[in-house]
Amino acid sequence: MRRLLQFVMMILVLPPCGCKVSAPGNFERRVMVGIKHDFTVRNKSGKNPLPSTAETFAAGKEAFGHYCIACHGLDGQNTGVPFAEHMSPPLPSLASAEVQSYTDGQLKWIIDNGIAPSGMPASRGTLSDDEIWSIVHFLRHLPPAGSLGEPEMYSH
Amino acid sequence: MKNRFIASFFIAVLFAALVFSCRVHAQEAPQRIEIVAQRFRYSPNEITLKKGMPVILAITSNDVNHGMKFKELDLDIKIKKHATVEAPFTPEKTGTFVGQCSVFCGSGHGSMKITFHVTE
Repeated sequence: MRRLLQFVMMILVLPPCGCKVSAPGNFERRVMVGIKHDFTVRNKSGKNPLPSTAETFAAGKEAFGHYCIACHGLDGQNTGVPFAEHMSPPLPSLASAEVQSYTDGQLKWIIDNGIAPSGMPASRGTLSDDEIWSIVHFLRHLPPAGSLGEPEMYSH
Repeated sequence: MKNRFIASFFIAVLFAALVFSCRVHAQEAPQRIEIVAQRFRYSPNEITLKKGMPVILAITSNDVNHGMKFKELDLDIKIKKHATVEAPFTPEKTGTFVGQCSVFCGSGHGSMKITFHVTE
């Protein structure tokens, strides 16, 4: 039943989108956010096994810096990322309610498996479980937007 | 006669000291374990150690910077690219412990693991 519902929603949403990159309408955005939160992104009850400490935060910030910053910026809020608004869907700020309303387990699942259709890659195997959980901790304590500057790769 | 006795005594003491120091040295020389790290594996990737027995972990990187971290063993070693690092280590508890590369090294970094089996 769930799969059928997902399929029907996709059919409703995809035709108006086509393949050209454009900002999604309000209806499309709300439908996709609902599908992801309630159906496709799993592990809702997963708990972060790492303690909430300064060390975990530092480890998460470091792991986030491996390559997440290329799309999400150093602060997780797209600061300095030139294409953030030109993707479909646009890159969300990781401090936004849309992202922060995922549970810790869902954030882990997203980093593990990526999100399709979007540019979010699957990082299981590229990052260790501990690194991903520490990133989840970092996401819960993001620094103020712009406070860390922009990724070096975009400032040359 | 007395001089011969004193000379013999000193020779005996020197000999005993030499033998004792060799024995102590032989007992304390830690085993050297050679490990090669390269994207995205360690070789060997399973090692059996004895609790309380000191070893030297000689880890060589064949390519980029790597690390080897065992959270439960409080061990985190960094290895520079194309270099060898020697790290003394004495396991203090028994069990099976999985270590992980702790320096991001590419697309398979998260699956670069090594297992220590520590026995009594």
